Amino acid sequence: MIEIKDVTMTFEKNKGEKENFIALDHVSLSIPDGCIYGFLGSNGAGKSTLMRLLSGVYPVKSGSITIDGESVFDNAHAKGNMFFVNDETVQYSSFTLEDLKKYYSGYYPEFSAEVFDKLIGKLGLPPKKRMSQFSKGMKRQAVVAAALSCRTKYIMLDEAFDGLDPAMRKIIKTMIVDEMMDRNATLIVSSHNVAEINELCDRAMLLHEGHLLFADEIDEIKSGFCKIQIALKDSVITKEQAAAQGIEVMQCSTLGSVAQLIVKGNSQDVIEKLSKLQPVLLEAVPLTLEEIFIYELEARGYGADILKEDK
Amino acid sequence: MINIDMTGRAPIYEQICKGFGELIAGGVLKENDKLPGARTLAKELGLNPNTVAKAYSRLEHDGIIYSVAGKGCFVAKQQGNIQKKLMENFDAAAEAAIRAGVTAEELKARVDTVTEQNTSAKEGEQ
Repeated sequence: MIEIKDVTMTFEKNKGEKENFIALDHVSLSIPDGCIYGFLGSNGAGKSTLMRLLSGVYPVKSGSITIDGESVFDNAHAKGNMFFVNDETVQYSSFTLEDLKKYYSGYYPEFSAEVFDKLIGKLGLPPKKRMSQFSKGMKRQAVVAAALSCRTKYIMLDEAFDGLDPAMRKIIKTMIVDEMMDRNATLIVSSHNVAEINELCDRAMLLHEGHLLFADEIDEIKSGFCKIQIALKDSVITKEQAAAQGIEVMQCSTLGSVAQLIVKGNSQDVIEKLSKLQPVLLEAVPLTLEEIFIYELEARGYGADILKEDK
Repeated sequence: MINIDMTGRAPIYEQICKGFGELIAGGVLKENDKLPGARTLAKELGLNPNTVAKAYSRLEHDGIIYSVAGKGCFVAKQQGNIQKKLMENFDAAAEAAIRAGVTAEELKARVDTVTEQNTSAKEGEQ
């Protein structure tokens, strides 16, 4: 179990900048064992910073992070339980896969050369070629194979499927499923592909400008939002009318006499409240995780100005 | 055998439940047939095994399947739960049609046509 409590991470200002940069602002999150946790967020939201704190690359200066009760920074034992696949692979450029194997077997006590060879064989990667000659996708495959071979309890993949083709994504996913089932491993993946997070993860959180917007089981997150189509007898519903029924409207658009509302709340509750207006049409559909992502960020002004200009 | 619409709005576990419901209602899976294990299905569909497990526990709760410790999940003797679900889907579709101005007579005629087509198709198979 990973416990993140009230973590704030500030980067000191560079010359010429007025203020320090707050990458994470009072973030609290717990990650239970045996799940696949998805980190979602806008560009520069703080996902990678959080991963670097979790893996002990940066020290935690404000708040606390514990993995199975231990803090990670400068703690070899806790670090031995955690593998971090950085989104950069440039550090391995001069390595061959044989070198990579030797390198990680020295750091991770549970490293299995057998598993590594098997995975590399499955992926069809050349063991004696320098990684600088690998394609982006091949580098990614190699590091993921190394991550799984280290047999750590926790594995973090930053930009998990970046540069991988659909067939390879599927192979990597099946490898991840095996890890979970065989060793009760816990995975943390970040990706901008929300649909991918939706199918692979059972829990997810959304970060924006260092703030945690929500964190829960994906099914729970989804049941907290819905899209409503509503038509009243002789007028078009306004945002205010809906709000008067105690409904939090995130977005409201109309088409003819029908209004489409994006609302926060369980669809059953919302339908119950809106039926008091005696509408002639009232339907609720769940939102996709991708829509939730977009609406939540638009509600905070992210991308909204650019979208308005287009209209 | 089961298709998951990854961009779909319905939760994935519900889609899995629906998929098995259809396979059982359609006679592809019969009573006491074994369902694929959570790991196998998760790998095949590229899903989280926890999601598959959630779908299975829902199906078990609804009495559509039963599980045997250490052996897996099997199709239970059906008590009409799947039919009930299908009728609910029908109700929703009929409701939408009525709202759009389709008359009761037209609906009834439609049901008769579909029934006829299905019986003749079945006879054709035999």
